[in-house]
Amino acid sequence: MRKKAPEPSRPSGKNNRSLFRRTIVLMVLLGVAFFLPMVAQLWKLQITQHDYWQQRAANQQTMDVEVDSGRGTIYDSQGEVLAISATTYNLILSPADLTRNVDALAESSDRLQDEDGRTDPEKVQALLDETRQNVAQFLAGLLDQDEVRFLTRLERTDSYYEQLATYLEEDVAEQVREFIAGYSEQTGWNVGMSSILYLVETAQRYYPQSSTASHILGFISENEDSGGKRVGAQGLEAAYQDLLSGTSGLVVTGRTALGSELLTSYEEYFDGQNGYDLHLTIDANIQAMAEQTLAEGIETYDVQNGGFCLVMDPSTGAILAMASSPDFDPNDYDAIITQSLQEQLDAVAAQYGADSEEYAQAWRAAYNSQLLNKAVSFTYEPGSVFKPLTVAIALEEGIIDPDDHYYCGGSKVVGDRTIGCHNRNGHGDQTVTQALENSCNVALMDIGEQIGAELMWQYFEDYGLKDITGIDLAGEEDSIFWEEDTFKGPYGAQSVAVASFGQTFRITPIQMIRSFASVINGGHLLTPYLVQSVTDEDGNTVYYHETQEVRQVISETTSATIRGMLESVVSNGSGHNAYMAGYRIAGKTGTSEKIDEDSGDVICSFMGFAPVDNPQVLVLLAYDSPRRSAPGSNYTASGTYISGGNITAPMAGQLIADILDYLDVEKQYTTEELAGSDTAMIQVTGNELTRAITRLQDQGLNARTVGTGNTVTAQVPAAGVVIPGGSTVILYLGDQVPEEQVEVPNVSGMSPTRAKEALENIGLFLRSTGAASYQDAGVEAISQSIQAGSMVAPGTVVEVQFASTVIDYAVQNA
Amino acid sequence: MRRRAKRDLTVEQQLARGPIDLPFLALVLLLTIIGLVMLLSASYASAYYDIEGETGGNPYYYFLRQLTFAVIGLVAMFAVTKIDYQWLRLLSMPAIFASVVLLVLVLTPLGRSGGGAQRWLNLGIRFQPLEVAKVSIIMFFAARLSKRNDQLKGPPKKWNRRSLTGRVGAFLERIGFLELVPYGAILLLVLFLLYQQPHMSGMILVLLSAAAVLFASGIGLYWFVGAVVLSGGALWFLITQTEYMTARINVWLDPLSDLQHGGYQLWQSQIAIGSGGLLGVGLGNSRQKYMFLPEEHNDFIFAIVCEELGLVGACLIIALFALLIIRGFWLALHARDRFGTLLIVGLTALTAAQVLLNLGVVTGALPTTGISLPFFSYGGTALVVQLASMGVVMGVSRQIVAPKAE
Repeated sequence: MRKKAPEPSRPSGKNNRSLFRRTIVLMVLLGVAFFLPMVAQLWKLQITQHDYWQQRAANQQTMDVEVDSGRGTIYDSQGEVLAISATTYNLILSPADLTRNVDALAESSDRLQDEDGRTDPEKVQALLDETRQNVAQFLAGLLDQDEVRFLTRLERTDSYYEQLATYLEEDVAEQVREFIAGYSEQTGWNVGMSSILYLVETAQRYYPQSSTASHILGFISENEDSGGKRVGAQGLEAAYQDLLSGTSGLVVTGRTALGSELLTSYEEYFDGQNGYDLHLTIDANIQAMAEQTLAEGIETYDVQNGGFCLVMDPSTGAILAMASSPDFDPNDYDAIITQSLQEQLDAVAAQYGADSEEYAQAWRAAYNSQLLNKAVSFTYEPGSVFKPLTVAIALEEGIIDPDDHYYCGGSKVVGDRTIGCHNRNGHGDQTVTQALENSCNVALMDIGEQIGAELMWQYFEDYGLKDITGIDLAGEEDSIFWEEDTFKGPYGAQSVAVASFGQTFRITPIQMIRSFASVINGGHLLTPYLVQSVTDEDGNTVYYHETQEVRQVISETTSATIRGMLESVVSNGSGHNAYMAGYRIAGKTGTSEKIDEDSGDVICSFMGFAPVDNPQVLVLLAYDSPRRSAPGSNYTASGTYISGGNITAPMAGQLIADILDYLDVEKQYTTEELAGSDTAMIQVTGNELTRAITRLQDQGLNARTVGTGNTVTAQVPAAGVVIPGGSTVILYLGDQVPEEQVEVPNVSGMSPTRAKEALENIGLFLRSTGAASYQDAGVEAISQSIQAGSMVAPGTVVEVQFASTVIDYAVQNA
Repeated sequence: MRRRAKRDLTVEQQLARGPIDLPFLALVLLLTIIGLVMLLSASYASAYYDIEGETGGNPYYYFLRQLTFAVIGLVAMFAVTKIDYQWLRLLSMPAIFASVVLLVLVLTPLGRSGGGAQRWLNLGIRFQPLEVAKVSIIMFFAARLSKRNDQLKGPPKKWNRRSLTGRVGAFLERIGFLELVPYGAILLLVLFLLYQQPHMSGMILVLLSAAAVLFASGIGLYWFVGAVVLSGGALWFLITQTEYMTARINVWLDPLSDLQHGGYQLWQSQIAIGSGGLLGVGLGNSRQKYMFLPEEHNDFIFAIVCEELGLVGACLIIALFALLIIRGFWLALHARDRFGTLLIVGLTALTAAQVLLNLGVVTGALPTTGISLPFFSYGGTALVVQLASMGVVMGVSRQIVAPKAE
């Protein structure tokens, strides 16, 4: 078969040349020339502008996942952990991976296929349902929530990321891991559970001592600027945020335009720097004592507005404890943990309903009040506690002499106003020391007048009362004073008068304690601080706090004089309820009126320190508004006269004694005190009676006999038991035997002598604390260490605290 | 049919059994293979993540389909090289007729639309009639223009110079207008049908390849100057006077100004190219293919090439294309006859136009329009037609008279 192809046309000369030329033109244009701009454009994009595009690419293609750096630990001065971060887990569900995995399984598993080897949609659906059911069931049990909630989320088949739970602890996480690992074995279906359910590490902050030192520590939470991270929100957590947090690490992962992670490749890690550890001046034990004291007083005297307690080492400015009530638990900072606040809330809830605006408002108020650190963020009128500062000014400036006499007739007329003393009958003639012992307003006003506005103002500044103290805590409040012109002006005399006994200006407790410390520590105004040192994760010290002295306010001599006067205030004066034998406590009471409130409520405070010659601790304790038994009454419902001397001094004295014991400060007894000091019982059983009594007298003990005979057959207490000197022990003669158990009597309200009798009559011994040796008819027992009615063995020592009523109101307007 | 001995063949038949031009064949195969590899890389991610869509999450979906068509295309290519291309002269008339019919059919309910235009026909297999039309027009033009010489040699038609029509006719004859009428008519018809789809880039390609054939065949240059001036004016009018085109140009000049309409594509394309740098992020390591760059396995596949292989890789591929085009024209210069020359010029120019326009769009040197990259972009019929047309070129190359041995 032959086919004739069409006759090709023969190109002729002229046209051939044209064809040739034009084809070459096309060849050069299309094959070379037009490519050049393209290559140039590529060069521009890929070489010249490479960095720019690279940046744009990185911006959109990568997902930066921050890896939390470990937040630093906070230790107390003894190395006790106060705040620590631990790894916890967030539980993530990827419902999309569930469907995806099951679909993939359907391709390979003949159990999901029909006889013809085709995927059976019904079987696939059944497996899907079954898996969802299993997962939901497990989660419901694990997280104690309704199964339906998880089923709903499992059915969001286009979602790769459902956060089911946050901050799971290790034990819960372990359950999840077990479930994931054992799933295919348990159910027989390898659905790839590890990509459906997984844990993501995150950090949780723990405060092992719960509410202890909560105001100091603060807490961490998210805020608008923190970008989903939790940062310090209060206290040291906030003040030292940068040091504690360190710098977070970064994992850069590739991502798709749809937002999911590319787990296959392309990951880069940037190491973070773990946060530094803080070592505080706070001692958790002293802190606990302070909080305990605060809580006890609030409970006992039905204190309405809480209170605060500061414990400072006056020679360095180190804060040993800082308590404020009401407080909170940093582990769960928005839970109201104070019972009285919760009761108020419940009342509001009952009246308006728990979802009312009123309730929300009340809740916010309660929340804010428990977060308030009264020690630094609250101002008050210091009242009589301020008086030593006034006296110190006058002494330092040589205006007065400790032996100067002042006369109190019950009130003083300043300008057109009569300002009364709390003792309306007047304290009569007093030395300066006696004026402080009596907390006499009139004498102080006289001294204030001598000092004058100019000098007084100067000392407000020198005492650091007009500046914040610079303590390393956020939120320090500023003091409130008169205008300088008003104070120094022609009408300032009244202001100077009330200022001299600590009224009508407001300072923070931390300002008060700092200035007071300068008065008793030799005149050094120090910067108070909470963080002693900062260490990195390897334990290297990166910061150590050296004592910072702002200025010398008064001389060492003046300071020593004031210390002596203040010891006298406790041993002989209005502070006697803080007296504790052997501790040499000195201090000053204060009952501050709230001039700007009509409530008539007062803040009962006490500033005390010990031992007087070399103060180790300085304590400021205050209760804000003990409830009056009736409006206008000066007594609490429990019958205590409301004043710093009655309510706060005994609590503070006990606290100081406890702290000194804890710090192992040696006791110093005076001769009279020594008589009452403890002695160990000796073995006299078997001795002849007269010999036994002589031996006991040598030990400083008295004896009484029970029964008849010449030989001691038994004794209470047993040998070796430590009892106060001067106690009367019981010697049994003949066939008399001690009783097995005796009932502790109620000694409340008894004088020291009567209480001693009441106890010794039944074979118990009295160890008196507080104002027992104070020569005043009003001294009575206010508490006992063993509750009345308890059954104890004979010979047991019962500790009883004594106090007497002190009326020391700063202002008592006639 | 038993294979006959060479001595039994006519000269033409003997020539038709000549060797295929090996450099050209090598370039075609190289580009096809590289194209497939790049398609696999570019389409992997979107295929994998498109669980709900046609791929069903199978990352090899696009690749396997393209591979199938590549095999079909290569078989077709070799089959076409076996055909004596002189037969294409006869085939060109029916082909152009069929093309027009198909282009009309597209506009009927038989057509399938996508992306706002009705471009596909579904006759058992889904394809774009444009692919057929492009080649048909080149074949028809080449076949007819190759006979220009013969026509001129014949006695010129006598125009009646006394009548107006006669004088006008004579004038038109002289400037070569009459000669152009059939080409123009067919071109206008096809362009009109494409305009109906609408298919802007298709019109451009048809116009350019037809122009290349007309240019090479010796049509007076003033016609081209006129056409360029005319189309330039029309373009200027379109750009400045129609909102649609103005917007498009603005997007081209500043992709971020309108991310909704093409700006996003261009922006992402530039990110892909720019982030590739000199050496690229490595084959398979593109990040832009993870759904950032739309059409990453279609019109914008070259951006992924640039990202993965860098400037060096991109220039190598550009060089391969350039070599293919140069070799194509070289074959055109050496073709045995005018028809062969014009055929190759048309097909090579078509390929070159597609490559250049695609590169221009992808790199942002030209405003965005949908033109796929030969051998690389995903598209079955396009690849088959491309390979088959390369087969035509190679068929022509077989008949090149070997230079006489010295």
